[in-house]
Formats: sequence, structure tokens, C-alpha cells
Amino acid sequence: MSDTIHIQPGSVAHEAAHDEHHHGHHEQSFITKYVFSQDHKTIGKQFLVTGIIWAVVGGLFSVLFRLQLGFPGQSFPILETFFGHWAKGGQIQPEFYYALITMHGTVLVFFVLTAGLSGTFANLLIPLQVGARDMASPFLNMLSYWFFFMASIVMISSLFISTGPAAGGWTVYPPLSALHDASEGSKLGMDLWIVAMALFVVSSLLGGLNYISTILNMRTKGMSMTRLPLTIWALFFTAVLGVLSFPVLLSGLILLLFDRNLGTSFYLSDIVVNGQTLPNEGGSAILFQHLFWFLGHPEVYIILLPAMGMVSEILSVNSRKPIFGYMAMLGSLFAICILAFLVWAHHMFVTGLNPFLGSVFVLLTLLIAVPSAIKVFNWLTTLWRGNIRLLPSTLFAIGFVSLFISGGLTGIFLGNSTIDIHLHDTMFVVAHFHIVMGVASMFGMFAGVYHWFPKMFGRYLNTTLGYIHFWVTLVGAYLIFWPMHYEGLAGMPRRYLDKSVWRSFSQFGDLDKMITVVSIIVFAVQLLFIFNFFYSIFKGRKVTSTNPWGANTLEWTTPVNPGHGNWVGEIPEVHRWAYDYGKDGREFIPQTEPIGANESKH
Amino acid sequence: MATTATTHQTKWWSGGKSPFNLEYGKLMMWYFLMSDSFTFGAFLISYGSIRFSQNYWADPNVVFNAFPGAGHTNLPLAFVSVMTFILIISSVTMVLAVHAGHKGDRSGVIKWIAWTIVGGLAFLSCQAWEWNHLITGEHAVLVDGKIELIGQTMRGNPWGQLVEGGAVADALKNSSGETLARLVAEHDHSKTLDQLSGMSKDQLLGMINTAELHVRTKGPIAFGGYFFGITGFHGFHVFSGVIINTIMLIMAYKGVFDRKGHYLMIEKAGLYWHFVDLVWVFVFLCFYLI
Amino acid sequence: MEHQANVISPEITFQHHTEDGEFRKKIRKTTILLSVITIIELGIGLSIYTIHKGENPSHLLVLMFKGMISILTLAKAYYIVSVFMHLGDEIRNMIMTIVVPLMLFIWFIAAFIIDGNSYKNLRNNYDPYFKESTMPKEKKAQPAPEEKPGKQ
Repeated sequence: MSDTIHIQPGSVAHEAAHDEHHHGHHEQSFITKYVFSQDHKTIGKQFLVTGIIWAVVGGLFSVLFRLQLGFPGQSFPILETFFGHWAKGGQIQPEFYYALITMHGTVLVFFVLTAGLSGTFANLLIPLQVGARDMASPFLNMLSYWFFFMASIVMISSLFISTGPAAGGWTVYPPLSALHDASEGSKLGMDLWIVAMALFVVSSLLGGLNYISTILNMRTKGMSMTRLPLTIWALFFTAVLGVLSFPVLLSGLILLLFDRNLGTSFYLSDIVVNGQTLPNEGGSAILFQHLFWFLGHPEVYIILLPAMGMVSEILSVNSRKPIFGYMAMLGSLFAICILAFLVWAHHMFVTGLNPFLGSVFVLLTLLIAVPSAIKVFNWLTTLWRGNIRLLPSTLFAIGFVSLFISGGLTGIFLGNSTIDIHLHDTMFVVAHFHIVMGVASMFGMFAGVYHWFPKMFGRYLNTTLGYIHFWVTLVGAYLIFWPMHYEGLAGMPRRYLDKSVWRSFSQFGDLDKMITVVSIIVFAVQLLFIFNFFYSIFKGRKVTSTNPWGANTLEWTTPVNPGHGNWVGEIPEVHRWAYDYGKDGREFIPQTEPIGANESKH
Repeated sequence: MATTATTHQTKWWSGGKSPFNLEYGKLMMWYFLMSDSFTFGAFLISYGSIRFSQNYWADPNVVFNAFPGAGHTNLPLAFVSVMTFILIISSVTMVLAVHAGHKGDRSGVIKWIAWTIVGGLAFLSCQAWEWNHLITGEHAVLVDGKIELIGQTMRGNPWGQLVEGGAVADALKNSSGETLARLVAEHDHSKTLDQLSGMSKDQLLGMINTAELHVRTKGPIAFGGYFFGITGFHGFHVFSGVIINTIMLIMAYKGVFDRKGHYLMIEKAGLYWHFVDLVWVFVFLCFYLI
Repeated sequence: MEHQANVISPEITFQHHTEDGEFRKKIRKTTILLSVITIIELGIGLSIYTIHKGENPSHLLVLMFKGMISILTLAKAYYIVSVFMHLGDEIRNMIMTIVVPLMLFIWFIAAFIIDGNSYKNLRNNYDPYFKESTMPKEKKAQPAPEEKPGKQ
């Protein structure tokens, strides 16, 4: 009996309501098809488009505060036209500056690189690559997007209130974030920030639970866990990280909300504001940092792991070679996932953390270098002597590896608590995490978009624009962030409004100007990509074959424009792993092909 | 394990079936509960962290010693043990409801779910009484050389260290007449508060038995925040559990599950309810026992 | 049975099914066990109270009692999860996916508590007012006889 059973979304009997969606050949209204859609592909696209909008907003913020950092004291009258008293006399005011960097961090870390990245690709790829008609619960999946949407609305609305958005840094450390009187941004903007993040946590939880149970329960016949493409494994660990760490942030934020509005003393103690001692007593500001970074560090890997998974897949497909060391890749993903939970306090070496505790965190932190090095080695050996197709997606994947190496190495510096005493809160840190987490994950995301765009929209992205996009972004990223290492080693602090008044830092004035100019160019090139993206959706070259890249995975066995339910007729059965490239003289052997009689073992 | 069919070797992980032999909803519920346990865990661990950062913490036996209708009798932990038993029993009735569901026994499900809801509501009422008692309670606390009467709130904690006799006598003299009147009224029920307020300070001082009067300093403020925060969050879970169970009750009553042919929803509601009980076990440990 | 299971969901091929009498016995046993553990916990809790009221409370004894209560609580949690929530009846791998992530709590708790304790020591060392106003005084008005910033 079990031979004929195929797992279907929302199973047959107990979610009868979903049954009619299965093959998508009945008429849907615009609302159910594009807005409140329960199709995982549409939800993925919704996440992607919302993420792109957020990326433009967050990127624009960085351009604005780079103007201040590159040209302190210079007046840009156009800013006053747009931002009024926030940029009085065309100069970015301190409050505005802090709001900009806070929102830049929040938006890019959470709304772009968490929701926009794993939200997009987990939704798009999980059912397609494991061979399921949809997510385990399409309804909760839809809710996941709409909670994200609500979080976006609340966060956006905080930009338009008179006291401005949160301005205490994206880490919202108390007491700055806990006291209304601490700054303009600590007023209503901070409350809205907390509410938006709480909605975001709900969204990520709903999504994560769905991803996990889909990967575990909905795999098609023959798709054993060790036959899963590495993208799926990476997205699986991403979901696990999210499900276990986001609730801790939620707890921390609830306590912060209490401190702000109910007069409790979880994080507050011995504080004097305007000569008046506050009644709060006995709390610990370090406690918030512990709670925050218990999420914050896994969050880094929530951002990075999907990019790693997609890069593995894309490098293998486009070098026409099996991925090198599949099990080692799996093991290192697993190791990174576990270590991610154990190392949070390396963000807090100089906060008054117990130094002996700190040394344990140093040890655990440096251990992450091992699985990371294994992954880098395996990517390089996958490329080695491959028959590489230098498509934009391949270039971005290789760019990811490059950035991951250069950013990862500086992580070893910062992971040592002694060196961190010198380097903490300098531009060195900014350079490190932007390269290894920010730009690298962006590259993974771009690689994924270029690679799976044909699956999403049935058309190709323009390749020439893709090459321009890649080279300018790669060179630009290094030009922007490489010099920051030198600034940081010289002790230049991050987050400062104007560093030109220090003699030791004023020597970097021209360097900062250069960084600002390059960041504007890079931002412009991203707009070019966005133009390419939206233009290609409607006018791009049409995909004619179902498997344009000659890939093995299941998503390329669906029609060019798959309906809700993905496969017409039966779900394909899987007979092999996803990486049979260049085997027995054949360029690629899809997963659905049964093992031949004379086939060699891999 | 009394499994009927498929005791032969099944390849659970090779796709095409659930590796855990669970339908996705139950799997999601389990992982949601795990996620939620990190929410509660984070709360309780922060509480532990703050508690370890203090030199002094209130003894729960002193804080939680009241029982409804028992006046000022010192009954440490009595009421909370009643609450704990209510929750354990409601967990048992939930198990029975789930078991009745397995058998497809509709009237059994309805009966046991109803009892579970009763248990949940009883627990919530107990918690309401306890909160009310703590917040409105009046405890003599030494503040700036005077005695003030304060309750246990999120901003104040009357459970500091005991003040010695000599300091109490001095503090009594500095305190206001109104405070003294209320102090007397707590133990002496022969006169009303109005009558006492009319008396002079010296008269009132004479009526106070300093030996029996427990005056404390202010305790760590974080205690109240954590107590109300965490028991409140737990109470919120109980409340949502009651709502879920009520929905289950209505659905069972209307025969929705019979039409579906299975009672899997009850199982998921049951998991949630047991989790609420589980969390209480730890809240009970952290706030009332240690 | 098998046929019925397939109707329920294609994902599951069997359902947990226990004999009625056996099941009731198990539940009754667990209920009694939970109640007994709770009563023992309350007993220990009350004895901590008496120790505190006594002349010179022994911190070691109190700590030991608290440790015992914590272990008993873990036992209670084990019975609730394994019997009431039927986790004990699931497939071993399933149990592992629940239990293994919970191991994170070990380091989570340890690190937070160690750092909380260290924060106390820091303040006792550098904030005389904090130490003076919060350090419990020995009974009968003896000036604090020993410096012990590390212990509670």
C-alpha cells in the first residue's frame, strides 16, 4: 500500500480545505493568487520583493550617513529639502545620524538578510527541491509573510513620527533604549521598534516551523536526508537556529518594554538623568546584552547559512562537478549550527563580562574556524579543474567565497578577547561583519536570484547587466570595507558622528571621502540590478527548456511556469543524490533518473 | 509500544513518509513548544542571573504565606500547592480527553475537555486572587527612617531584611499617624480605622506590639517585575489554553471531529495544555521553592 | 487499524494505541507519582523556611535542599513530557530532536548564572554602598564577621 502513497501538502483528509489547490487548474481571483496566496512560490516572491524594497531603503540610509562620514561639515542643501530639520542647513544632525545607522542595521540584518533572504529562498526552494506540492501548512506560511508585512508597516511608520525612529544602535542596548528621556529616538520610535520586532519574531517562527516540518515530513519518495541538496540542509539549519534563538530575543524585548513603560528594573540600576536619580535599582544592563546576543549570534548564521547552501549548489551546477565532500559540508553546517548557540558573549568581551567566562567564549568562538575552513576548502575543490560556466550566478558565488575568506579571517582577530580590547567598537569591526555577513550574504542572495530567476518568473535576467552588477559590486565592496580595517587598527571608533576633530583620525579624511564616493557608486549599481530584475520579469528573454542550467535537482523537473502544486501529475520519485555531474561521461544525471545497471559508484 | 501494523522494518528517512511517524501538525506543535520553552527559559534564566547578582533575595516562604479566607495566619506555600494540584489534575483530565479522542469517543472527549477548562479557569482565579493579595497587601517597610506600608508591585518590594527592634521603635516615632493607625488596624479589629485615625500618635504607639511587628527594608525591586512578568506570561498561556480548549469543546460538540474521522486536533491542544503545566512546574520551582 | 490510519493521514502508518485498562493504570500511577513528588518538594521548601528562621542558618544545607528540589522538579518534568505528552511513545529519533536542542539550556543557564554572580562580585568590590545596603547582616547585630563576596 505504501508504494502508492505520496505525501501531499496539508494531507488528504484532515485539511480538506486545501485539497482544491492541488493542481492549480481551477480559477483563482487576483486576491487569492497574488495577495493572500498560499502558494509557496508566490509567497517567496512576496518576500523577495518586500526585501528588495527594504534593501533600497536600508542602502539609502547608508549612503546618507556615509555623506556625513566622508564629508563632515559640508552642506548638502538637498538633504534639508527632503528631511527638514533632521538635516538643518543641509547637514545631517546627530539625532538623524544615529537614527540612520540604527535603522540601516535593523533593516538590513532583519528585514533584508533574514526575511528577504531565507524567507525568499526557503519558500521557493524547499517544496520544489524536496518534491512537495507545497509547504506543510500553506496557511501558516501565508501568515508568516503577512506578519512580516505588518512588522514592515510598523517599522516604516516609525520613520515618520515626529521624534523619529529608534536611534540607539541596532542592538538597542539599555539604558539608552530603556529611558524615554535618553534621546529622541528612545521615545515612541523605540516602542514601535520593539513591536515591529515582536511581529517579526512571530513571522520568523511561523516560517521556521513550516520549513522544518516540510523538510522532515514532506520529502518525496526516495528523497532521503542524505540525498537532499545542500541548499535544503542549509535552510533547515537556518530554520532551527531561528526557531530556537528568536524567542530569546522576544523575551529580552518584552522585559525591555516593561522597563520602558511599567517602571520595572530588569536592566536599569543606579541611573542619574538630569541630576535626578531614578528609582530603578538592581537591574543589569549586561543581562540585556546576553539576551540580545543569544539571538544576535545565531542571527549571523541565520543570515549566512542560506547563502552558503545556495553557493554550494550553484558552484556545483556551474562547474559541472559534484560538490566536493558532501558529508563534510553537512557536518560543518551542523557544527556551525551548534557552535552558533554557544558563542554569543564574544560580542561582549569589554562590557564587564566575567573575564574567565570570556576565555571560554574565546575557545568556542575560535572553534568555528574549523567548520568554516572545511567549507571554504570544499568550495575551492569543487571549482578545481571544473568545467566552469562563468554566469553571473557563478561569479557571485565565487565572490561569496572570496568575501567569506577575507571577512572570516578578521573574525579570528576579533574572537580573541585580548585583541578585542583594542579592536572593539572600531571601524575594524564594521569592516569585519560587513564583509563576512553583510556583503557575503548579499552575494549569496544575488547568486540565488540570478540562478533561480528562470524558475521564479520563466524569464532570464539580462546577463550583461549582471556582469556589470557583479564586477562593480565586488570591487566596490572591497574598496569600501578594506580601508576600514586600517582605520580600525588605528583606533578610529565606529558610530561617531564626526571624527575629523581628532588629529589621529583626520589623516583618514581622504580615505573616508573615497569610501563614500564608492558606496554611492555601488548603491547606484544595485539600482541597476533592481531595474534589471523588474524589467526582466516582464520583458526578459523567455525560458524555453525546463532545465536551462542542466541541473539535477527537482525544481527543474517542473514546468517552466509551475502552477500551485508544482508538478503536473505524480510527484517525481528520487533515485540518487543531487550532484551527479560529469559522471560516466554524462554531463549531468537528474535526481529522478533510476540508477543504471552498469553505473559506477560515486 | 503497542503498535499494530507495520512492525516490519520501515525506512523512515528515505522520503515518502514521515520519518517520525507523525502528521505535520503535531510535529509543528512540538517544535513550537520547544521554541516557546526558550521564551520561558530566557525569562527564568534572566531571573536567575539577576538573583545571583544580588546579595539578598526574599525567602518565598515569607512572601507567599497567605490563604484565601485565612486572614493573617502564616501558611507558607499552602495556596500555591493548591494551584499546583489544580494544574496537575487538569493535565490528567486532558490526557483522558486525548485518550477518549483516540478511541473516537465523543462524549468522553466533551466530558474531559470540559473538566480541563474548569481546571484552567480555577487556576486563573487562584492567580487573580494571589496577585490581588500581593499588590494590595500592606507591609511595614523602613524607608528613610520612617515606616511606610507598601505592597508587592512591579516597582516596589517590601520583602527586604528584618529591621532590629531599636531601629523599629525610632522609626515608629517618625512615622505618620495614618500609617500607625493602619498598622494597629491590621491586628486590632476592635476599632475601625476611622476611630483609630482620630487617636493621638502616642496612644497609637502604645497599642503597637513592637515584638510582633515585622519591619523590613526594601527588597530587590527586580523580584516583583520577574514575578508578575513570568507568572503573568504563564497565566496568559493558561488563558490561551482555555480558549483553545473551549474551541475544541465546541468543535467536538458540533461533531466536527467525527466528520473528519479523527481527533488529532485534540491531541495538539493537549500538547499545548501539558506544556502549560510543564512550565508551571518550573515557575513553581523558581519562585516558590528555591 | 492500518486502514483507518491511512484515512487519517498518508504521513502516518500507525497510531499510538494502548489498551484501555493498561492506559488508565499508567495514568493513575503517574498522577500519584507527580503528587507525591510535589508534596516532598513542599516539605523540603518548608524545612528551608524553618532553617531560615533558626539562629544560624546553614547555607550549605539550604543549598543542598534547593538542589534536591531542582532534581525532583526535573523528574516531574520528565514524567509530564514522557507520559502525559506521550513523547516516550514516539520514535527514538523524534525524542532526540526534542531532547538534544534542550541541551543548549545547560550552557545557557551556566553562562547567565556565572555572569550574574560575577556582576555581584564586581559591585561588592567596587560599590561600597551596594555592599553596605544589601549584604545580609548576621542575626543578633554582630558586625559582618567575614568577607565573603563569592558566596550567597
